[in-house]
Amino acid sequence: MTADPRALAELLEESQDLHADAMRPTHETLDELVERSHSSRDDDLRSNLDFHEDHARGLRQTFGGATLLGAAGGAALVGVLASAASASSSKDAQVLQTAASIENLAVATYKTALTLPYIGGATANGVVTKFAQVTMGQHAQHADAFNSAIASLGGKPQHKPDPAFVPVVNKAVKSLSGATAAQGALGVVGLALELENIAAETYVKDTTLVRSISNKALFASIMGIEAQHVAVLLAVQALLKADAPQLISLSEPATLEALPASAGNVGFPNAFYQTSNAAPAKQGAVK
Amino acid sequence: MSKRTKNVDVAGSETELTAMTRDLDDLHHDVAVPSMWAGVSNMIDGMRGATARPTSRRVFLMGTGAAVASGAALLAVGSTPGLAAAATRVESHLHLADAAFPPAGLEGDLAVAAVAASLENLAVFAYQSGLAAATAGKLGTVPPAIGTFATTALSHHTQHAAAWNAVLKSRGKAKVTVTNPTLTPTIQANFAKVTDITGLAQLALSLENAAAATYQAETSKLKSTAAIGLSASIEPVEMQHIAILYYVMGMYPGSQTTAGTPIAFSSTSAAA
Repeated sequence: MTADPRALAELLEESQDLHADAMRPTHETLDELVERSHSSRDDDLRSNLDFHEDHARGLRQTFGGATLLGAAGGAALVGVLASAASASSSKDAQVLQTAASIENLAVATYKTALTLPYIGGATANGVVTKFAQVTMGQHAQHADAFNSAIASLGGKPQHKPDPAFVPVVNKAVKSLSGATAAQGALGVVGLALELENIAAETYVKDTTLVRSISNKALFASIMGIEAQHVAVLLAVQALLKADAPQLISLSEPATLEALPASAGNVGFPNAFYQTSNAAPAKQGAVK
Repeated sequence: MSKRTKNVDVAGSETELTAMTRDLDDLHHDVAVPSMWAGVSNMIDGMRGATARPTSRRVFLMGTGAAVASGAALLAVGSTPGLAAAATRVESHLHLADAAFPPAGLEGDLAVAAVAASLENLAVFAYQSGLAAATAGKLGTVPPAIGTFATTALSHHTQHAAAWNAVLKSRGKAKVTVTNPTLTPTIQANFAKVTDITGLAQLALSLENAAAATYQAETSKLKSTAAIGLSASIEPVEMQHIAILYYVMGMYPGSQTTAGTPIAFSSTSAAA
């Protein structure tokens, strides 16, 4: 891939502006929480700002200055994500609403990715296409499950995407324009990887935040699935970067011998799942 | 779906992936290990005052036993016990419990910590045995990706065991150095039947499934927040092991039903 540092700088600056704009409703909501819990407000504000900074950094690392995701589905995703979730309700409900907002974002992202020829088209790698289809369906089920849990608490369902991450995704999708199939596939995988890792880290943390046993069990039943998505995407990303897309295949074990050694462990870089990139608990809560 | 039949020259990619793995290993030691000790430290603090929960340990033990028993039923093992000799040799490294387990005096979250350590010890034993058998040429040709998988998974399980043992030690309790007594006979018996790398991968899969399901179940049952956090930080890693095991076995790379249908919610049935 070739890099254009000036274009990247502009991209990041615009992204950060958009991100800051998107964060404003979250901050305003947090301001509203002052009356209820002053200390809680400070913590949340700090968390949201940290999240913003982390993902501006993540965007830089993910896309590395290359031309990114293609325009084909970009406009559609921007439209889908035009109105993001904002915030408020009981603590468990808020945590669940944030989780639903992350799932909604993931569904929209995979849906758009599948409209791209190198992800869902005839020329796409079959394993990647199947993975995107299955994973999108799983995220839809996760969103439904979170919303069912919210309903059981008497809360409002969350059908909008996570407000803090929407600008990052929008920007990434817009920048797909002009990408080759290889560049585009790598960009989509990088974006999906970032979203999946946020989901997994958030849910690991959420198991310690929610109070009810059933909600702990729900997060525990989903966090590992998201972590598996991360593992697969890390392996796919490594093979794409190694210019060996033909090895992204599901076939008889005999062909396993063709895989490079590092394909065996690139999918699980840590012995303990981290939570430093977890989304703040109330970030996607319904107002 | 494309087939992985084309044997490509991966010399360049191998170099790149090796470098990437080295970076990940550095990251692992820079980030994961300190994080582990921070997590353990938090758990130690958080477990002070955790109440006893006698039924948890029993469910945990029964669950893991059921998990591996069901996993064993799915194993496609050869009729010739080609690894029997290797299994006998590694048995000398096994440290089986010769008394009640978990030890008397451990209740509630601490009892869970002891059982978790014993389960991790069993995984360490299984991977060590598998690597020893592979090195001895007992499993035929071992693809390089399998070697790195087993080595890394072994490292992870060793760290998981160390984390739980650090918790026990901090509370003045003895470290657990035995393999899980409920599961060990089953794993030994199944290991003795393994004749090739596919059989070994399936055995590893049953162990990883048992571990993941058990941690998943315990995450919603443990009392202290820190213990929940530690358990929750391990379950997704076991799930990642599972995904890559499926991938290298040529199957859909994620948790699935016995019919191969991917599932959106991981199950605790293997632990219940």
